[in-house]
Amino acid sequence: MRPPRILPLLRVGALAGLLGLLTAATAATHDLYLCAAFNNGSRVMGSNDGSSNGLFKRTADGFRHVGINYPLAISATFDPRDAKVIYVACLSGVLRTLDGGTTWRLVTGWDETEPKSIAVDSQAPDHVFTGLPDGIVVSRDRGQSWQRRERGLPERGKYTQVVRADRARGGRVLIGCESGIYLTENGADSWRRVLATKETVNDIQQSPHDPRRWIAVTQSAGALESRDGGATWKIIPGLPADKALYNVAFDARDPQRLALASWSHGLLVSEDGGATWTARNAGLPGEGIPRAWRTAIDPDNGEIYAAIFGQGLYTSGDAGRTWRAVPAMEGASVQTFTFVPSSQP
Amino acid sequence: MKRLMLPHLALLTAACAVAQPSVEAPPPSRAPVPDAALRREAYHRRVDEVLHWRASGAGRPDPATMDMAAIAIKLTLREDLDLCSARVIEMMKDPGTGPFWMFPTVCVAYVGRDLLTPGARAAIRNAWRTTRQLRGDTENHWAMYYTSLYLMAELYPNEPAETWYSGKSSEENLAEARDYLVHWIDLTTSRGQGEYNPTHYIGEYAIPMLFLATWAKDPTMKQRGHMMLDWLFAELAANTLDGVLRGPASRTDEGSVIERWNSLASYFSWLLFGNTPPIGGYGGWGLYFAPLAKNYELPEVIYRIATDRGGDFVQRDRARTRRFWRYSDELSPAVYKTNYLRRDYAVGSTQGIMNDAIQGHAWDVTWAEADPRGKHATMFSLHPMSSERAMQSQFVTYPEPMIKGVTFEGKPSYDSPDKVVGVSYYERVFQDLDTVIALYDLAPGVRFPHINGFFSKDLVNVTEDKSGWIFARGGNAYLAYRPLAPYHWMKYLHRNGGWAKAAEDLGGRLLVSPHLKNGTIVQAASVGEFKDFAAFQAAIRALPLEFKLEPVPIVKMRTLRGKEIAFTYGQAPKVDGKTIDYAKWKLFEGPYLNAEVGGHKLTITHGRLERTLDFNTLTITDRVRAN
Repeated sequence: MRPPRILPLLRVGALAGLLGLLTAATAATHDLYLCAAFNNGSRVMGSNDGSSNGLFKRTADGFRHVGINYPLAISATFDPRDAKVIYVACLSGVLRTLDGGTTWRLVTGWDETEPKSIAVDSQAPDHVFTGLPDGIVVSRDRGQSWQRRERGLPERGKYTQVVRADRARGGRVLIGCESGIYLTENGADSWRRVLATKETVNDIQQSPHDPRRWIAVTQSAGALESRDGGATWKIIPGLPADKALYNVAFDARDPQRLALASWSHGLLVSEDGGATWTARNAGLPGEGIPRAWRTAIDPDNGEIYAAIFGQGLYTSGDAGRTWRAVPAMEGASVQTFTFVPSSQP
Repeated sequence: MKRLMLPHLALLTAACAVAQPSVEAPPPSRAPVPDAALRREAYHRRVDEVLHWRASGAGRPDPATMDMAAIAIKLTLREDLDLCSARVIEMMKDPGTGPFWMFPTVCVAYVGRDLLTPGARAAIRNAWRTTRQLRGDTENHWAMYYTSLYLMAELYPNEPAETWYSGKSSEENLAEARDYLVHWIDLTTSRGQGEYNPTHYIGEYAIPMLFLATWAKDPTMKQRGHMMLDWLFAELAANTLDGVLRGPASRTDEGSVIERWNSLASYFSWLLFGNTPPIGGYGGWGLYFAPLAKNYELPEVIYRIATDRGGDFVQRDRARTRRFWRYSDELSPAVYKTNYLRRDYAVGSTQGIMNDAIQGHAWDVTWAEADPRGKHATMFSLHPMSSERAMQSQFVTYPEPMIKGVTFEGKPSYDSPDKVVGVSYYERVFQDLDTVIALYDLAPGVRFPHINGFFSKDLVNVTEDKSGWIFARGGNAYLAYRPLAPYHWMKYLHRNGGWAKAAEDLGGRLLVSPHLKNGTIVQAASVGEFKDFAAFQAAIRALPLEFKLEPVPIVKMRTLRGKEIAFTYGQAPKVDGKTIDYAKWKLFEGPYLNAEVGGHKLTITHGRLERTLDFNTLTITDRVRAN
């Protein structure tokens, strides 16, 4: 039986959206952080177009810019012991704050560029893993210093799009690379390939209901599922493999519900645990298929978020059947959603 | 990818009501100036021309006309110092976010360190605390970024992490910047430049290196800056025809690829060699070289290489591609460049590698013009590749958005079937002296399944011969172009610099050959080598030529120079039965530039003059060789 929806939000209009946010924020047990840009992804190397970009935190009034104005912030993660410790993967490397965003330090050096994903081992929170275009760097001192830890990774084919730490077992990290999925079970002392692909693995997510269940989405091999902690993978039937799938999201409240974002296919939703998928694009912006860049499902209320490239953020309280724009996020490109338990200090 | 923050030259020019003498004057004499003192004097005059032009066009009554270049120049000239300080304070209220903001700011910070008011200096310093700086994603970004960071960290030593945007102390910033710059110089002097022969981006290396050579306190970094300037300008000298950079380019654009003179490289040729006019507004970025230009003295040996086109020469060099993050067995494969320069024309190529997904240029024949301004003095062909996979190979992007993104960000021609800039996975090139063979084997289903050949408005007597050759004359060069598959003509429509959304008709045509298996052969000769045009045509027709396109394109031919060439797509070419082994190529090999791969040492030679740049010992050795 599906759990009841706690927050049946109003579904039309900006006011409704704002009310929805207010309601959600009031009842939330997670803080939501976004990496987002309002400059349409433009990498302007010298100008200031006046936009605020980087990290945003959901508040009762909408989303508040946090700390730094950085146009190309891609991925954020937190120290589970202290949510004021934030790591942001951005064009120039990894930015870290120890005080909730007041001060920041670019903790990586010149040899680490353009990271796409960053993860903290929740069982060993000093250990931080960063995926780079040319492999993996690991810090074992909260980002203060970094080392290449790539034993078992191929010399080529280690372009890394996504890094995920197993929340249930320390030292286990899965990375999605150009040549497949690689797993370490010893904190990156060594890696082994658990899935071979011809093109990049774009996202890997661990089920909040069963830590052994993982779903990966790829550029050209569709979506795959693992039921054994990422050791083996099987294709999820019924999902397209002709075009890239960008990311996948579980619903922490409803094990049957998943969402998937794709530039070419839009927003796909499953309400039967991934057995069948339905495009839920009506009401999202764009000519034809909306360019769905990212999706997430709010663990507190089941709202589905859809980030449409360069066209803002949308949310749905009915599994994508209807959508409403999130106020003040018009025109944004949202790179990642990070939910942080708000009970953290 | 980036939006190059080129100053709006038209606006800049309009704002500066005074004349740009060398821009507007007839082209300068190309006769070499043998007297060093006269050469130096002329160089200083050119530098002063730039300084006075920009200074006179900015300032009172409208301080907003003063950008950072104008401020740096006015400070250099000790003009309007109060205005400079006020304007700096105003501009630092809205700082930029990356290397194109950083290096102009560093320039002003250093030029004005004893001239700006304490408030203005503090405003600059504060901006380096408050505004997060993007490092960028290309080698030129990083050269600017780390040079700027290095110099600012030296200017403000012993300051704590919280006073810098990076969250690192002065010493940490200095160490990181130094490490990168040393790494880049080591890489470049052992495996070649990643952004070789750039038509515009030469400024993005030369300016930071001049900053280092002038301002670095660490004598080893100062020396590195100086030596890299020599390295960059030696390459420029050996690749220019009367000051015009031609041949293959790591990164260029439509404006420069058809009007070869129209590039920032011409500003440097004008300034340093004095043998071509500068581009309008002195190239925009070129203004940042001028305030310090008198601190650099071009070695005579480089000057001679640039200005001596009395004899033909071949230079074979190596370079590197942009980094391939994906879809390549190597991070940065070797690029093999061949350049053949003569008085009347030059021929240059790479082996047809995809060096840069967006802005590469593989080969051309470019002829000399008495006045190169407005002349499209070049001929080449290309496959106008537009590829998500190519984008993904060099950018950290998903497949779909990149092409839209790059056209949005300022290169709208990228996804045009009629474009004339770009390199392709499906092109292989071989050059021997003044013969180029470009073979194409396009994959079925490829976007834009055709070849574009550029036929300039400035060609005369274009003749489609029954033999299959197309003959033409450009300047004092005869040209023979042989398409290997059927073709049709279309008007060439130009997008200025690749940035303009609208295309304009500047004249010229594209030879469009819509066949997957394809090829182009071009041969060139000086007009003076033949009795007349008909004799050139007869000579070309008489040369044995066999080719077939299936299963892969193959050409066997004898060149005008009597070489027997066999070239099969995907295989090493043969000349007179001998296979070309690129792996044996040196870093530089030719009459003027010589270096071993991994050697960190460049020998620059002209006649008896020789300069050796030894990066192993950070020494420069000049000598006059014995006869």
